[in-house]
Amino acid sequence: MRLFITVISAISRGLGVLAAALLFSAVLSVSHMVFVRYALGWSTVWQTEYTTYAIVAATFLGAPWVLTVRGHVNVDILQIAAPAPVRLVMQMLAALASLLFVGLLAYAGWVHFEEAWSNGWTSETVWAVPLWMPLLPMPVGTVMLALQYVAEIIRLALDGADPVDHEPVLFPDITEEARP
Amino acid sequence: MTPLLSGLVMLAALLGLLAIGTPIAFSLGLVAFGALYSVYGGFFLETVGEQFFGYLSPFSLVAVPMFILMGAAVASSPAGKDLYEALDRWLNRVPGGLVLSNLGACSIFAALSGSSPATCAAIGKMGIPEMRQRGYPPEIAAGSIAAGGTLGILIPPSVTMIVYGIATETSIGRLFLAGLMPGLMLTIFFMGWTIIACKRRGLGLSELTQSFSMAERFEALPRVLPFLAIIVGVLWVLYGGVATPSEAAGVGALFCLILVAVVYGVFSSAWKFSSMSVIFRDTLKESVMIMLIIGAADLFAFALSSMFITQSIAEAIAAMDVNRWVLMAVINLFLLVAGFFLPPVGVILMTAPILLPIITNAGFDPYWFAVILTINMEIGLITPPVGLNLYVINGIAPDITLAQILRGSLPYVLCMVLGIVVLCVFPEIALFLPNLVMGPGG
Repeated sequence: MRLFITVISAISRGLGVLAAALLFSAVLSVSHMVFVRYALGWSTVWQTEYTTYAIVAATFLGAPWVLTVRGHVNVDILQIAAPAPVRLVMQMLAALASLLFVGLLAYAGWVHFEEAWSNGWTSETVWAVPLWMPLLPMPVGTVMLALQYVAEIIRLALDGADPVDHEPVLFPDITEEARP
Repeated sequence: MTPLLSGLVMLAALLGLLAIGTPIAFSLGLVAFGALYSVYGGFFLETVGEQFFGYLSPFSLVAVPMFILMGAAVASSPAGKDLYEALDRWLNRVPGGLVLSNLGACSIFAALSGSSPATCAAIGKMGIPEMRQRGYPPEIAAGSIAAGGTLGILIPPSVTMIVYGIATETSIGRLFLAGLMPGLMLTIFFMGWTIIACKRRGLGLSELTQSFSMAERFEALPRVLPFLAIIVGVLWVLYGGVATPSEAAGVGALFCLILVAVVYGVFSSAWKFSSMSVIFRDTLKESVMIMLIIGAADLFAFALSSMFITQSIAEAIAAMDVNRWVLMAVINLFLLVAGFFLPPVGVILMTAPILLPIITNAGFDPYWFAVILTINMEIGLITPPVGLNLYVINGIAPDITLAQILRGSLPYVLCMVLGIVVLCVFPEIALFLPNLVMGPGG
């Protein structure tokens, strides 16, 4: 059980690093596009599309890691007010509800990917990317998010309720470092 | 079920999921799935994947992670400290000048970072001990920082405004301009109150004796100016019609990253290269969270309109024929309460699709409304139970009690309420600038 949690969390972390790299590549491709289009006056082919796909991919691939650091923002005042046993029930129910949504979304994402794959769809632009490439991160990310939720539920069952505390929503790590 | 009744069922389900602490994105998504199932049966799962992917892939959304990255780069650097020192050297001849420099530093830093809690942490870390050392009471020290931090989501570039623009399909450039004057107005209100409060208590007069030479004043500028130049550059590019917000933000983010590495990496020992990984960690965390809420909220809005709920609510309210200002007051109250519990981005994405038709039917301007909504969200940031700024300050200065912080920030809340009233009487304060720069209408 513990091994499952450790392995899943490690994969999520790896995908998180990949997502951060995609984010950085999007910064570079946007800047490249601006330079080519406005400084050199050329037309651009792939940059707009690549940037968008990279951001979407970073969103889906980063989502499981964001769950492990509790970054999917929620309303926690009732959890804070509740005694530990009640809080455990709330956290379990919340995780199950999320798992239900994420699982269905993973299925829907898979359907869309599978269609693009088996029909050999390409994007309707000059670049004409095979569409399965940008679509793949959606099922991968959501399946991992679902597995991470399973891991979270197991962890709750083993260790009891998570503590809740107020945490700044934006830039928690930076804010934390700024504290004396 | 009538549309209004099914709307109530969806609302109850959503509130139930939120109350137990389900993440906002997944609560919205699950309720939307339930509603779509009731309309289309299980078939909706065959197309909803394409739909969800489509919601996340317009190029305009790229602006969200880019502006967040830009803010994170600035927030991680010691720019806050430099800004604070620079302003202190320029404003020390005014009564309560130290508090004023804090407010000024907060509004500039908030504009750069786009984050209220990060602003409170960055400026408060230097500002609060300094103010207390010079004899300001803890209420004023903590309250001014808590309030100053909130200015960030109004002064451009603001992630909150981008999200509003995406949710309501309004022009992001126009929204930025609409927020600028009201943001400056609130800064002036805050400063005005501070001067009054300090004068009444005879505070802040001691630093009048301390003076800085012009050389000292100019010496503080070089490390602050590049960041201001980037912000001005980004806005200029945007309004010159040269580039779209996403393009401007992307280049701005790259420049900020380079600048942070050059100014604070090469010439000082305070900044380490590992800060880069912190910048990307925070950016990824924040933008994944916002992007998933955007996707789920779009799905939620689609479910609402598939069931004719949005339209029915707008019609029902139009049929009631209430006075438009009564309507605005009710909406404000509703937003204020929502802002007490939910983060600004969540409130905007959830309420915009329902509120916008009501607002425009009643003859209000959507850009003006964006400003009103944002000020409401700012109030939520410095009021319990979720007021993030309060907890950040409590973390920086643990010996100042929450009650003291609250007492100190309350006058500033009243300043914001006054700001809303002034904007209702003179909507031109928000609309003058966008109309001037980008032409009337829109």
